[in-house]
Amino acid sequence: MATKSDCIITIELGTNAVRVVAFDMKGNSIGSLKGSYPTFHTQPDYSEQDPEQIFITMLYVLKNLLTEQIYPNKNKVVCICFSAAMHSVLPIDKNGVPIGNAITWADNRGKKEGHELNNSPYGKTIYQATGTPIHPMSPLIKIAWLKNHDKEKFTQASKFLSIKSYIIQQLTGEYVIDYSLASATGLMNIHNMQWEPDALAYAGVSSNRLPALVPVFSSPGKLKKEYQTSLGLSSATKILVGSSDGCLATLGAGVWSDDKAVISIEDSGAVRVVGKEVLRDEKRRFFNYILTEDCYVSGGPTNNGGVIFEWFAKQFGDFSKPFDLEFSMESLINEANKVVPGSDGLIFLPYLLGERAPIWNANARGVFFGLNIKHEKQHFIRATIEGILYEIYSIGKILEEHRTIKNLSVHGSFASLPFCTQMIADIFNKPLTLRKNSDSIAYGAFLLSATEMGIYKNLDQAVKTVNLPDVYTPKKQHHSTYMKYFKIFERLSVRLSEEFEDIANLQ
Amino acid sequence: MNQFILQQGQSKELQLFPHITEFALKRNNSITLNSFNASLSDCIRFYYVIEGKFEWVIQQQQYVLFPSDLAIVLPGQMLGAEKGFLDIGTLFWLHIRIDPNDPRTNSFLGDWSQVSPGEMITMKKILVLNNMPVISKLKEAGSVFYNLQNEILKQELGFSTRVNQLLDELFILITRQLTRQNNSHRDFPQTFLKLEETLRKNLSHQWTVEEMAALVGLGTTAFNEKVKNFTGFSPLNYLINIRISEAIKLLKRPDVNVTSIALETGFYSSQHFSTTFKKLTGYTPSQFRKNNIPKTNDNGHKI
Repeated sequence: MATKSDCIITIELGTNAVRVVAFDMKGNSIGSLKGSYPTFHTQPDYSEQDPEQIFITMLYVLKNLLTEQIYPNKNKVVCICFSAAMHSVLPIDKNGVPIGNAITWADNRGKKEGHELNNSPYGKTIYQATGTPIHPMSPLIKIAWLKNHDKEKFTQASKFLSIKSYIIQQLTGEYVIDYSLASATGLMNIHNMQWEPDALAYAGVSSNRLPALVPVFSSPGKLKKEYQTSLGLSSATKILVGSSDGCLATLGAGVWSDDKAVISIEDSGAVRVVGKEVLRDEKRRFFNYILTEDCYVSGGPTNNGGVIFEWFAKQFGDFSKPFDLEFSMESLINEANKVVPGSDGLIFLPYLLGERAPIWNANARGVFFGLNIKHEKQHFIRATIEGILYEIYSIGKILEEHRTIKNLSVHGSFASLPFCTQMIADIFNKPLTLRKNSDSIAYGAFLLSATEMGIYKNLDQAVKTVNLPDVYTPKKQHHSTYMKYFKIFERLSVRLSEEFEDIANLQ
Repeated sequence: MNQFILQQGQSKELQLFPHITEFALKRNNSITLNSFNASLSDCIRFYYVIEGKFEWVIQQQQYVLFPSDLAIVLPGQMLGAEKGFLDIGTLFWLHIRIDPNDPRTNSFLGDWSQVSPGEMITMKKILVLNNMPVISKLKEAGSVFYNLQNEILKQELGFSTRVNQLLDELFILITRQLTRQNNSHRDFPQTFLKLEETLRKNLSHQWTVEEMAALVGLGTTAFNEKVKNFTGFSPLNYLINIRISEAIKLLKRPDVNVTSIALETGFYSSQHFSTTFKKLTGYTPSQFRKNNIPKTNDNGHKI
């Protein structure tokens, strides 16, 4: 039976940092700490992280949280649940030692493999079986790249893990991956929860070179004794394998019926819906990831979220005084506020990092369009933000071909800037709720753990506890203005594809 | 503006300043072939352009210097003009002898300097790690050169103190400017990533917070705060994380002994390594190694 002092700890192995949050059994956050780790770009298109640094950072943060915030209040940890960024690959040798760094979701080295597979007949069947768009982000493509270009590493690797699988193995000794994270590898069949033979054949691996597939509610085993001692935990502390950041953010944002969509925008972004069915899209523009066996999280990701506004702020923001980036972004937004919706006809395509959904064009590039002599600096600021959000809307729009979306739930550092939140409501012309406590991922992991422990009967009941204040209502007249420009935005994004390719080849 | 060339051993003006091997102001009105061929520098040299345009090659890289630009050439680096002769124009130069011995010596500048030993080490690191030998538009350096000229030539009361102060000022000015131009305050994550790479390359060095802060061009208070905000760790704790992450990799290889791992990753001793490692992981380094290396070891090493 749960007692008052019991608590649940969630560990999020994120893109740039590990975040550890402690919750009491009612879901109130009672402590949190983060620790960041770097991403190394040793070559263009490469994006890697040091697995040992992630492990040590995680241990350090967890230990500090426990000794500084949990034990002094006599709280007892009953469960630790993991979430992680999707799509990472870490080859390990026969002794379990990592062979080099982990390859992260942002790594694009497999561009050629992705392109080829997409255009082959297998592209379609593998996508339909695995739910993961054929793209360099996917571990399927990354392993195939290793097979084709780094034979030595490929042969030496006894297993290909995800970063989360490695961390859990270090703590418990078991090689596992949950269905949820595995459904983002491009290697697992999302209909029968087995490794997909066609995908394995393409990647050139057999299933014994991958971790064991387990449900999100499963426990891989106990914490090794040494870690129990150093962390002050007991063997009774349950380790829950958990899910992926995207799926848990959706759960934690309270999106649980098929008439809602969740928009998350941090550096990158995504629009997601939840349902009992996968979205079958002829153009293969969506991902279909699994949260639990009867629940799919579907949607489209964008590369160009808050990172683009950050880029803009770095180039054109005010740094004359010892201002930091946040301050500079804030003052830019104040300036953008002086311009009317639609930026007097200045339109920005935000594809500085190439784009995934909905155009899936790695060669796409940024464009300012419609510039005239009356445009001033503040028009550029507003147009930049509008462009980022038009891109988000273009994902939402194609999702609406499959689902009727009545309202939105918004989270993420960029999306929750009040200026942006209102603009999202206006562009989508839908009411939206904002989850203030931005940590939807951690809260999703809490709901998963609490359900597993029997505090909630099932996830349906658990998700009802998500507190959704802050309703933003759309302003109709702004919506119709935005739509006039969005039509041009949408056409440009497609029509420029030839020019995108030419310029990308020159860069 | 009068030209002059002062050389150590020949010009009495430099008698009190043995560390200044050459100080000159030259107006070059004509081209003399082979007057500026590539040569190896044996001291630290500064060139400050007043007029003209100079096309030089420093360490095999081409640079064009315009008025108010400053070039820095370190001992052991090659410098010469692209075409082998000195272009037309006016410039100052100053050669300072620095201690070529142990890189960790405290007297890298010499006893004449008032810079504290710790800061001197940091300044040296900044100069050595710098790969942009030309700082553009550094007018402040010009004033230092004019003041130096005045003090050395006029020899008014207190000039020997002032000359050394001006030299310190020049070093401080330059190292601050280098960290500023190499680290954009607009992009702390980028700056921090560069610092991390430097730390990893020099992990056995006993880094202090002051050194790390200086490398990214911040005061220690601002640096502490920024690192804490960005990483969640204090700078020294962040560094310990890197040390242990690297140590773990080495422990998983059978061919390096624990003491060398400790020193290579920057711990004072294997004792210090062992305590820190165990506190965090629950394992001593040798226990950790035993658990991660299979018992039969083809190399026959003792585990």
